[in-house]
Amino acid sequence: MTIGPWICLLAPLAGAIAITVAGTRISRSTAAWISVLTTFLAFGGALVAFIALWSADPSDREHVSTAYTWLTAGDFEVKMQILLDTLSSTMMLVVSGVGGLIVWYSMGYMHGDEEERRYFAYMSLFVFSMLMLVEAGNFLLMLVGWGLVGLASYLLIGFWHHKPEAIAAAKKAFVMNAIGDATFALGCVLLIAATGTLEFGSVFDQVGSMSTTTVNLVALGLLGGAVAKSAQIPLHTWLPDAMEGPTPVSALIHAATMVTAGVYLLVRASPIFEAAPDVQHLAAIIGAITLLVAGVVALVQWDIKRVIAYSTMSQIGYMFLGAGVGAYGYAIFHLMTHAFFKALLFMTAGLVIHHLDGEQDIRKMGGLRSLMPRTHIAFAVGALALMGIPIFSGFWSKDGIVAAAGSSNDTLGWVLYVAGLVGALLTGLYTTRLYFAVWRGEPSDLVKAHAHEGAGEGPRSMTIPVGVLTVLATIGGLVVIPGVWEPFLKWIDATAEPLVQATVAEDYITSAIAVALALIGFFVARYAFAAGRQVVRRPAIWQVLEHKLYFDELYDALFYRPAAALSVALRRKVEEPIVERSLDEIGAGTIQAGGEVGRVQSGLLRAYAVAVAFAVCVLVVVFVAVR
Amino acid sequence: MDGPDVGWYLIVAAILFGTGALGVMLRRSPLIVLLSLEIMLNAANLTLIAFARQQGNLDGQIFALTVMAVAAAEVAIGLGLIVAMARRRVPLDVDQASALRG
Repeated sequence: MTIGPWICLLAPLAGAIAITVAGTRISRSTAAWISVLTTFLAFGGALVAFIALWSADPSDREHVSTAYTWLTAGDFEVKMQILLDTLSSTMMLVVSGVGGLIVWYSMGYMHGDEEERRYFAYMSLFVFSMLMLVEAGNFLLMLVGWGLVGLASYLLIGFWHHKPEAIAAAKKAFVMNAIGDATFALGCVLLIAATGTLEFGSVFDQVGSMSTTTVNLVALGLLGGAVAKSAQIPLHTWLPDAMEGPTPVSALIHAATMVTAGVYLLVRASPIFEAAPDVQHLAAIIGAITLLVAGVVALVQWDIKRVIAYSTMSQIGYMFLGAGVGAYGYAIFHLMTHAFFKALLFMTAGLVIHHLDGEQDIRKMGGLRSLMPRTHIAFAVGALALMGIPIFSGFWSKDGIVAAAGSSNDTLGWVLYVAGLVGALLTGLYTTRLYFAVWRGEPSDLVKAHAHEGAGEGPRSMTIPVGVLTVLATIGGLVVIPGVWEPFLKWIDATAEPLVQATVAEDYITSAIAVALALIGFFVARYAFAAGRQVVRRPAIWQVLEHKLYFDELYDALFYRPAAALSVALRRKVEEPIVERSLDEIGAGTIQAGGEVGRVQSGLLRAYAVAVAFAVCVLVVVFVAVR
Repeated sequence: MDGPDVGWYLIVAAILFGTGALGVMLRRSPLIVLLSLEIMLNAANLTLIAFARQQGNLDGQIFALTVMAVAAAEVAIGLGLIVAMARRRVPLDVDQASALRG
């Protein structure tokens, strides 16, 4: 039963180590193949685990496999253990499956880069870390994976180390994530103090015996980690900048997997959050705010990847909302469909960028449809899924979250419900704006300049994964049809029982409203495009949105500038006058004293003799006197 | 015990030592300084021997022999230095050899 998850976990690690150890003894394409094959081997392991779990009795779908005891401190033990249940097996499939496709796609995208081997070693390391995160059987191992994905993300954002913006973005992502890691770690420490263990099962059994304050603090700590990792307000500013990394990295880490780790944590630790309902509601509120803010900011971005990045934040906002109101199944469902269609959008954007020799500004694009017809279809499918148009995967998952929020029937639920629906409108607006700016209209000069090359749309290693994801983004949502066929929700419910359950009627009414709003968004954006203007027309609002609601400026003023001013003040007031000057004075004083004492050394032998004689006389007198 | 009282020996030794010390402090010729040093050493030897005789213990006499050996070695080096100075036409004046002034 547990051989599958171990293969799944260790195959990418073996790949990363093999590429690192082999170094330049293997060719670049061999390194790429090692990475691709080990990731698909991991997918095979995940599949084996899934099938074993599927065929097992429903009451027997939770397995813990312990390799050895990792740490012992008195009664406290942490074991090297993995947990296989319905939730983790789903995550394993998503991570290794989508990860395998994206690593494969990278072969084409990164072809010719001088440091391909390093890239693929990092990618394998990331896949391993993410699998570690989702398979961990206790909070500490999860924290290990949590930190490792942050490291891999840092390494890959800054992969093009000759670009100063990429280095800055990598540092920003790392620092922002470190805040979350710290709160997560604090939550774990509190858990050890309160329960004496970090194993999921034992912790959840003891939640009831913890004091309210402790539970709230633990939940807040975990929520802090989730918010930072998943780029939710207020720790979201790193994600748009992270788009400096290679596009497959954006697809894998900053869309499909790592940024959804926060949602996974919310669902995994749901018993803790349920014991701290205020914190759980806070998660939903954060999700709602983020989905709205990211949605409006996405309306004014010019960089194709940044638009998709803001849309990612917005969609993760939906997942937080779902996990926050207790619709765990739908949150994970949306996580999965989002992994499909957002990876697809990033990869088609990558094809476009690849085709246009690295251009990412949508103002210079346009009319690409005639040049890249198949890529256009793939992008359109991704966009439709993102907007939640029926039969495409996003339709089934997003509306379920919104309906679940509304079905809780209190004020907060209705506010969240409205926020979710407004988000659907915004999604329609920004997706349509992006779609038309890139694909429709007259071909721009830049596009014309690249038209003559237009035999293929990309190497096969790039187009096949895109094709697979196009299919998945289309039909991937059909595992949940409310009221008819809901195997996916039942599957997740086995691990995390939902708190709210929308009725079938509510589901379909919400879907109808959401689709109508998305279509309104579509037509408004299309009309604006046809009229040759932007959706946001007021320059003042545009200004505010273009500065991303001044979050960067706010953090600059709140944290960076005071810290910098404090440092400068400390240098001027402490370092220079006290520390540095004291050292200078000690040195100068020694030199001066040496000069003074040196005069005694006259070089006259007879003077020395007199001094010795005098000293002897003095000593004699002293000895005599003392006696 | 025959011979003068030990006090007399000490007086002679003190006079010798004082002469030597004054010679070292006042004279400028290295040769004379060296001679004065020898006088001081011999004053010390005389003291050692006088006390050894008074105590009836031969340790002091043995020690005096050691001092003589050291003095001989020291004179060999000192005279060697003086000869080397003379050969290089360095003035034979300890006051002028003051290169180690601080």
